[in-house]
Amino acid sequence: MPDTTTLTETKTSVSPQPPWNVIVHDDPVNLMGYVTYVLMKIFGYNENFATKLMLQVHQQGLSIVWSGELEKAEFYVQQLQFHQLKTSLEQAE
Amino acid sequence: MKVAPTLEGGLRIDPETAEDWHVLRAILIDAIGHDTDLATRLGGMVTDERVAEDWRDFVVPDLRESFADDLNQIQAAIETAAAFPKDGESPIWITRDDAFSWYSALNQARLALEEKYGFGPDPESDPSNLQPVRHEALLRSQFYCALQSFLLRHAL
Repeated sequence: MPDTTTLTETKTSVSPQPPWNVIVHDDPVNLMGYVTYVLMKIFGYNENFATKLMLQVHQQGLSIVWSGELEKAEFYVQQLQFHQLKTSLEQAE
Repeated sequence: MKVAPTLEGGLRIDPETAEDWHVLRAILIDAIGHDTDLATRLGGMVTDERVAEDWRDFVVPDLRESFADDLNQIQAAIETAAAFPKDGESPIWITRDDAFSWYSALNQARLALEEKYGFGPDPESDPSNLQPVRHEALLRSQFYCALQSFLLRHAL
């Protein structure tokens, strides 16, 4: 009878946590050019992309301006609030 | 009042009348003239229970301190210019380094006026329909907005 060997392979799968969204909300005070300037300054976005996000804020009332891990999202929300933009933080569904 | 860009990338404000000084000092009064301060209102935007408590305890006080520092800085600039006129002029100089504090103070004032009076994006087109106090507040808000546009264009 031949020797038999049983090999067991264990696979662990970790489902990734949903990302956190940094959301800028529209308000009637902040100037459109200022919102664009702040998005460029904080995230390093180019002017075209920052303007696109600013227009989303202006026309749709809000825009998700960044998504990712919580620690970085908290930092960005803090920076945006220091610049007086109405900003919230939500975990994606 | 005259407002002009400087060669160094800042702004110069030349108040010419007592009313000009009054409206500049009103920035500070308007900025703190709301029941709930801006730091609390902004901090209240973070509502997720996993984050909100830390936000209230650590971030909101930092925001409050930063906004107060900006107001203190522009108050010092206004009062220093008023106290030490030169050759009959009392210019207020806003350097590039000061520009954000000025923008912040003006924004605090406009946000507080908006909270109080709710002008919205399209304020009353005929000011004669407005009560005097509301009319004055609208004019101040529009002046602050014009100054912010100057800062954005020339100093930030």
